[in-house]
Amino acid sequence: MKTKLTVAGLTLVLAVATPLRVLADRDGFNDVVKAIESFYHVKHQSLPFLARTGMKAVRTAAKIRGGDWKRLAEAGSARVVYFEDQNFDSRGQIAAFKAAVNNTLGQDWSTVVQTLSPKEEEQNYIFIREDGTKFKVLVITIERHDATVVQATLRPEVMKELLKNPDEMGKQITDEATTVDP
Amino acid sequence: MRTLFRTSLRIAPVMLLLFCGAAISSKAQSAKLQLDQLDALANRASNTVDVKLDEHLLQITWKIFSDKDPEEKKIKELLQKLKGIYVKSFSFEKENEYAPAEVDSVMLQLRGAGWSKIVGVRSKKEGENVDVYINQLGDQINGLAVVSMNLKEFTIVNIVGPVDLDKLSDLEGQFNIPDLDIARPNKTKKDKDD
Repeated sequence: MKTKLTVAGLTLVLAVATPLRVLADRDGFNDVVKAIESFYHVKHQSLPFLARTGMKAVRTAAKIRGGDWKRLAEAGSARVVYFEDQNFDSRGQIAAFKAAVNNTLGQDWSTVVQTLSPKEEEQNYIFIREDGTKFKVLVITIERHDATVVQATLRPEVMKELLKNPDEMGKQITDEATTVDP
Repeated sequence: MRTLFRTSLRIAPVMLLLFCGAAISSKAQSAKLQLDQLDALANRASNTVDVKLDEHLLQITWKIFSDKDPEEKKIKELLQKLKGIYVKSFSFEKENEYAPAEVDSVMLQLRGAGWSKIVGVRSKKEGENVDVYINQLGDQINGLAVVSMNLKEFTIVNIVGPVDLDKLSDLEGQFNIPDLDIARPNKTKKDKDD
C-alpha cells in the first residue's frame, strides 16, 4: 500500500513538474522565428555580431549626445534575427499567420498591438512580458522581402513610452537593435 | 473510507471557494466581447490594427505611470481599474468589401444581456456611424464598447472594467486607441437597444 502511495505521489509530482519545466524552457523568440520560417518557407540570418556592435555604438552615441537622447534597450539585452532578400508572401492567409504567431507565444507574452497590411505584405507585432522590475519586449516586423525579430529588455520608463505609442517605439527599438553606427 | 470522507469534507470548502471565485470572475468578464472571429477580415482588409491590453498586462503596467504628472496620473487612475482594452480596426480599399453580416457576431453580443446603447452619443466625425454601448450591472458600469462603421471601415473598441465615458477621451489617441471624437450632449438619456 505504502509503495503504491509513493508511486502515485511521484507520478503526481512528475505530472505537475513536467509542464512547469516545459513552460520554463519555452523561448518565445526562437519559437516565433521558427513559426515565420515554417509559414513563409524562409531562412533567418542571425546577426549577433552586428547587434552587439550596434548596441555598443548606440551606447557610445548616448554618452556623447547625453541629454534627452537615451538608449531604449538595456545594454546587451537585444537578440536579433534578420531575414534578408526573401519572399514574404502570405498567399491571402495573413490572418492564419497572425493566429500562428499568437498561438506560438501563448500565454507567456501579452500582445500590445498587431498591425497588418496584406497588400503591401507589411506586418508589425509587439508583445511584452514581465522581467523582474523590467520588461521584455518582442518586436516582429515583416515586409515583402525582409523581416526582423527583436527581443530586448526595457526599463519601466521606456515601457511607458512604448505603451503610449507602440508603433513608433516598436520601430525605434528595431532600428536601435539593427542599426550599426559608423 | 472514514479517512476518505474526512478528506472530502476538508476539500469541499476549498472547491466551493474555487467555484464561487470562478463565477465572480466570469461575471466581471462579461463585458469582454468575443472579437477573435473578426480576424478573418484581415485577409481582405487593406489595414488591420489589433490592440489587446489584457488584465494581466494592465496590472503589470499601470504602476509605471507617474502620480506627479497630471496627464499620467489620469491614465494611471483609469488603467488601475480596468480589466482590458481591446481594439480591432479594419480598413478596406473599396466600399462594401465587407458585409455587415460579417460583424453580426459582435453586434449580437451587444444586443445581449447587460449591454445598452447610449442614446445621444455621436462622433463629431462626418460620415461616421458611431454607437456607444455600456455594460451595466445596477449602477456599476462593467465595460464599454464603441462601434464605428462605414462602407470602408469597421472599428470596435471594447474597454472592460469601470470606465467613465467622460474620461474616455484621456485614453483616445494613446495605446493605439483611435481618436473617436465622441460628443455626449445628454448624459442621462439611455436606451436599451433591443
